Amino acid sequence: MGNKDIIKITLNLVAICALAGVILSVTWTITNPVKLEKEAEELQAALKGLIPQADAINKAATFVSAGGKEGTIYKAVKGGKPIGYVVSAYTKGYSSFIKMLVAVDTDYRIIGIQILSEQETPGLGDNVDKKWFKDQFRGKTEDHLVVIKGETNTDIQAISGATISSRAVTNGVKAAVEALRAERAKDKAL
Amino acid sequence: MAVSYKKLILNGIFSENPVFRLALSLCPAVAVTTSVRNGFLMGIAVLCVMTMVNITVSILRNLINPKVRIPAYILIIATYVSITDMVMSAYSRAAYKEMGLYIQLIVVFAIIISRAELFASKNKVLPSAVDGFGMGLGFLGALVLVGAVRELIGKGSIAGIHLTGGNPLLIMVLPTGGFFVIGLLMGLFNWIDQKYYGGRPGGVGGGHH
Repeated sequence: MGNKDIIKITLNLVAICALAGVILSVTWTITNPVKLEKEAEELQAALKGLIPQADAINKAATFVSAGGKEGTIYKAVKGGKPIGYVVSAYTKGYSSFIKMLVAVDTDYRIIGIQILSEQETPGLGDNVDKKWFKDQFRGKTEDHLVVIKGETNTDIQAISGATISSRAVTNGVKAAVEALRAERAKDKAL
Repeated sequence: MAVSYKKLILNGIFSENPVFRLALSLCPAVAVTTSVRNGFLMGIAVLCVMTMVNITVSILRNLINPKVRIPAYILIIATYVSITDMVMSAYSRAAYKEMGLYIQLIVVFAIIISRAELFASKNKVLPSAVDGFGMGLGFLGALVLVGAVRELIGKGSIAGIHLTGGNPLLIMVLPTGGFFVIGLLMGLFNWIDQKYYGGRPGGVGGGHH
């Protein structure tokens, strides 16, 4: 293979890469603002879904969540008074980091939780997004955030075949409440 | 090229079905087929990417230097997959949430590069488009079929509609069940082919990603 060939081949690949680059940047420029806007809308809808009576729910603080990822605390306000908080946090599940929202009132009682994203085992671990499982958290305080295998009325009942994912979410909720406590201890205005 | 378009389509759906006959792209065929819906969404994404890649490769077939054709095909596939990924993330959020992880994996699906190399690089644009579409349909059909069997036995439902009572056989929605179902369906395809068409068993090339 002569030098001319090498130049020809290189130019050939460079041309294809350049064309692909142009096409991709155009697509990104068009789709990315739409994507960001929809993500923000989805977040607001999820926050409102957890504390519907709030006038406004806005970002108030950040902290370090599981896996070094950034967790966020949103403050829900009604008539100028804080009525609760939503903590966006991660927890290490069986096969993925589970991202979730945990809503609590000002006495740290759980109002509700939402799973934002997870890649747990289909048919087993991904049942953490099932309504019956999430509903168990409503009204619970930290000392009842314990996973029980089998039926329970006071604590959190594990999903059969997915104890690790159940425990991950429960511990994640607990960690979120603790993070909120710690942030409020640091910042009295929160 | 004397082969009719109808024959090209049927080729992709039955005689050279990517999953059951060529035994290509078995990896996604196991991974995403836990339900009809997931199989269908993945099948549609692959159908679009494969048709577009075949068209592009066919148009560029005389411009791409044969010595760098494989990297060139990979680039073309990666470009279309990235476009699919970006468009889905902006305009089809619900589907993207479920499929996002797998969409990017389409880049390495053996079936796509094998059609680019075996067909589109040697044929005119229209037959290449039809070949990609037919193969895509075959892949889509295979994923929906595997998804339907696994969802019915593993969750007791089809396309989210609950059909049977009692405890479903959970193993079918786990990877293990995927291998069971694909193996049995592949056997069924071979049996039909040998009994009625006198063909040789498929999957002789071995499985790839």
